[in-house]
Amino acid sequence: MEVLALVYRNLRARPIRSILTLLGIVVATASMVLFLSFGEGLRKALGAELSKVGPAILVISEGSEAFGAGYPELPPELLGHIKALAPELGITRAIPTAVFARGGFDPASSFIFQGLPAGVTAQDLYPNVRLAAGRLDPGQQGAVVGGGIAERNNLGLGKTLRLSPQVSLEVVGVLERSGGLTDSFIYVPITAIQTILNTQNYSSILVSIGPDQSAERVARALEARLEGIKAQTTGDVMRFAERAVRISDLVRFGISLVALIVGGLLVANTVMMSVYERIREFGLMRALGAKRRFIFGLVLLEALLLGVVGGLLGLGLGQAASGLVNWYTLREVGLALSAVTFRLASFALLVAVVLGLLAGFLPARTASRIRVVEALGRV
Amino acid sequence: MLEALDLHKHYHQGEIDVVAVNHFTYAFPPGLTAIVGPSGSGKTTLLNLLAGFDVPSRGEVRLDGQPLSRLSEDARAELRLRYMGFVFQQWNLIPTLTALENVAFPLMLAGVTPKERVNRARHLLETVGLGQRAAHLPSKLSGGEQQRVAIARALALNPPILFADEPTGNLDSASGARVVDLLLHQAQEGRTVILVTHDLELARKAARILHLRDGKLLRVEEASLERA
Repeated sequence: MEVLALVYRNLRARPIRSILTLLGIVVATASMVLFLSFGEGLRKALGAELSKVGPAILVISEGSEAFGAGYPELPPELLGHIKALAPELGITRAIPTAVFARGGFDPASSFIFQGLPAGVTAQDLYPNVRLAAGRLDPGQQGAVVGGGIAERNNLGLGKTLRLSPQVSLEVVGVLERSGGLTDSFIYVPITAIQTILNTQNYSSILVSIGPDQSAERVARALEARLEGIKAQTTGDVMRFAERAVRISDLVRFGISLVALIVGGLLVANTVMMSVYERIREFGLMRALGAKRRFIFGLVLLEALLLGVVGGLLGLGLGQAASGLVNWYTLREVGLALSAVTFRLASFALLVAVVLGLLAGFLPARTASRIRVVEALGRV
Repeated sequence: MLEALDLHKHYHQGEIDVVAVNHFTYAFPPGLTAIVGPSGSGKTTLLNLLAGFDVPSRGEVRLDGQPLSRLSEDARAELRLRYMGFVFQQWNLIPTLTALENVAFPLMLAGVTPKERVNRARHLLETVGLGQRAAHLPSKLSGGEQQRVAIARALALNPPILFADEPTGNLDSASGARVVDLLLHQAQEGRTVILVTHDLELARKAARILHLRDGKLLRVEEASLERA
């Protein structure tokens, strides 16, 4: 009772100083939470996106990566080779696609065209997509537009999309918004993209397999049997992405570490000042029979309390900021980029607690080593 | 029994060697003992040594035969908690704790349960006439009230020895008299009360007066029977 009262009332006795210190930790924790929430958001978004993809295996050219929108490099005869292996490997379907991107870094002004062969619709690739208006099959001269991109660019049925001087397509279908990457895609006939790029090549071939087949085994078999390709399963993509996200996590944590160190120094400074101001008080406690450990714990507890309360408030603030970021990115690209997951929240609180303990250690040591006669001015 | 055996304490003040306590030997019997002397006579240093706040340069302080100076700081703190109570001239109370919590503080250090702490602290405050002021912070109490809270706290663990260092120094005569009465009462109950003062008037109330000069015990003045 008295210990907590001592800690709490001492912090309250100098409210402005305590609040300023607290704010330092709040901002440091919030910035860390926000920074790291991007990694968590990417993981979550990626997992959600991959789960929406129908075919289990993505065949791309060797040396490229999934979701790359480079020049189509897979030769047309590859499709025949894969189909020839179909009975043996349990492949049920192989869909070639070509991707063509236009626009810049601003997600609102960039367009991603995914070319589909005749008779294949967006639903074959992404089973979750739903039609909002028109039809699903782009046909020979049509385009089916994702919900997000249709809204942003006001692409209704009957509008004309000019891909190049030679190729113009009419919007024949609009999809419902689903809150994912597919919201930003435009599905067109593969021939249109091949005409623009002046090639017969494909960007990728999506391979579906029978329910009793292992995606991993089929992918490895394809790579072994066919030259110059890479067969990726969703697991491969996840693993690759995880590596990239982890590296960027470290970078972002490094940046937020600066804020954390500053926050920690703030706490150390506040608690140290409060120790110097209360030297008599600690001397009195020692005179009355308090052991060093008691004084040490008392001061450490003060720093810890600042750390924990600051950490909790910072977590709240970080979560709010993450919500704000998501509100913006959902509107702009249809993706929630930031996520404050349970493990991120736990990590942030742990960091705040460790910060409090580290910041309190030196002042606590100083306070516990005060000599009674000097502290009480009895020399 | 608290004994001082050939206590000696000197400090270095720059180049000069200052002898604060010089060959002090005395065994403190129960009852009120006053230590008097002009300022600079070594009263405060002597009390520091007797209470184990500081260690002597030579000689030793024994509590029931146990030498204090050979104990660690924490062990001395533990002894103070169990065997000694303190009333200082000022800076007696922890400013962020109420009167009741101040009295309960040593009880907490001794591991008494919260409920028992509150009961005992409340009872002690009542015995010093401050039952109504339990919830007040020290800043809301008068000097005399603060000293009485300190006495209540000093008695919290019922220690055999009480130290009072100029306990009336900052008080008006009426408040001072009340504080002295409380200390005298404790001495009559059989506690060893060691009163450090430069006020001879106050010292006359003690059963014996130790006169200190230049760190030396000049003489011991035993009170006549009727005064004791």
